[in-house]
Amino acid sequence: MKVSFVLNGRSLEVDADGMTPLLTLVRERAGTGAKLGCGEGRCGACTVLVEDQPVASCLYPAVNVDGKRVRSVESLAAPDGPLSAVQDALLACGGVQCGACIPGIAMTLTALLEKESRPSADRVREELTGNLCRCTGYHKIVDAALAASEEPA
Amino acid sequence: MTTTESTERVTSIQDAVTLLARLGERGRALAGGTWTMRGERDAHVHVALGGIAELGVLCRDGDTLRIGALVTHAQLAELPAEPATEALAEAARRSAFPQVRNVATIAGNIAAAGFAEADLVPALLACGARVELASPTGTHAMALHEYLPLRGSRPAGELITHVLVAAPPARRSGFARFTVRASGEYPIVSVAVAAEVDADGFVRSATIAVGSVEPVAKICPVASESLTGQRLTDLDAIEEAGRIAARECSPRDGLDAPAWYRTAIIPTLTRRAGAQAAGKDRS
Repeated sequence: MKVSFVLNGRSLEVDADGMTPLLTLVRERAGTGAKLGCGEGRCGACTVLVEDQPVASCLYPAVNVDGKRVRSVESLAAPDGPLSAVQDALLACGGVQCGACIPGIAMTLTALLEKESRPSADRVREELTGNLCRCTGYHKIVDAALAASEEPA
Repeated sequence: MTTTESTERVTSIQDAVTLLARLGERGRALAGGTWTMRGERDAHVHVALGGIAELGVLCRDGDTLRIGALVTHAQLAELPAEPATEALAEAARRSAFPQVRNVATIAGNIAAAGFAEADLVPALLACGARVELASPTGTHAMALHEYLPLRGSRPAGELITHVLVAAPPARRSGFARFTVRASGEYPIVSVAVAAEVDADGFVRSATIAVGSVEPVAKICPVASESLTGQRLTDLDAIEEAGRIAARECSPRDGLDAPAWYRTAIIPTLTRRAGAQAAGKDRS
C-alpha cells in the first residue's frame, strides 16, 4: 500500500506492506540513523518521534504512520550546522560512548525537553526507562539531560 | 516484501466489522500494533483501525468513563485524579515505558492473548469494566470478566469499540505491581483493589483482581467478599484478603519468577494496592 508521511520536514510517499516496521522505512528506505537493536521494542535504539511523541519504530506498523509527522535524529541538526542543545550536552558530559543507543536517546530527551523545560533527575530517569545503554551506566546521560535543560532555548 | 497485502484500512466501525466478518479467521483488528508486531503475522490480514476517529475518544458520560478502543496507555496515565479510577491511571502510568505507552491501546491490552502481564486488565477488572462490542448485527456490552475467558472464541466480525468504566463517587481504587528493576518491565504480580465505601469508611463491596499470576488476569471472589464490612484503611485486613486471593490463584512458572514466588508476594501487593485505594502512603 501507499504510505505517506512527513519525515524531518520532507514529504515522503513509499510503497510498502502495511505491517512493515516504521524503522525499515526510516532507516533502510530513507537512510536515517534510527537503529535496529532488539527489534522487540525493549531497547529504544529505534526511537523516533511520531507527532512529537517517542515511539519504538521497530513495533510501529507502516499503515499507522500514514499522514503523520516523524522526526529522527537527523532533524536535530543540519549536516554541517551546530548540534542541538541535547546533542551538545551528550558530548560535553561524556554521554556518548559506543553511540549505538544515542540516536534513540537523543530523541527521547528531545521530546522530554520540549514538554518539560526543567525536568528533575528522577523524571529524566523515568523517561529513559525505554532506552538501554550498555556503556555509560546512564549517569552521564542524565547529567547531559539536566545540562541541556539549563541551556537558554 | 510480501506480495499479498497484509493490511486493510477502514474508516468506520461498520466497515471494520463487515471486513472482519468477511475475512473470518484470517482477519485481525490492528490498533497500536505493539503486541501484534512482535508475533507471527503472516497468516493474518490486519484491519487497521487508526482511521476511525471515534475509537480514539475518551469521554465521560455521567458517572461512566467511555474509553475508545484506541485510547493509549499514555492518555489513561493522565486521567484526572479521581479515587474511583486511580487503579486504572496507576496501571497505565506504571506500564512499559514512554515509547510503548504512547502507542499501545486499551483494546489491544485486553485483546492480546498470551499476555498474562497486561497491566490495564486487572485494574479494569477491579473497577468493574465492561467492553462494548460491535458486530455486523449490532452492538452489545459484556462484563470484562465474562469476556476474557471467551476471547479466543468470539465470532468473526466482532470488535471491541469501547471500554466502559463506572466511576461512582463512593469508590476508591488502587493498583500495585512488582518488578525486579524499577520499571520498564513486565510485572511478576500486579494487584488492583477497588471498593465502594460508605460514609463511615466501611467497605460496602470490594473487588480484588490479580494479574500476571495466572495466564489471564482474574477477580478473586472470596478475597473480594472478605473485605465487606472492613475499614478500607485497615491494611492488615487487606493483606489478609491478599492471603485469601493467593489461595484462589493457580500460579504459573516463568523465567522471571517461579510459581510459588508469585503467590508469596500477592498479600504484600494487595496491601500496597489497598493502601493506595485508602489514600495512605504505601506501607
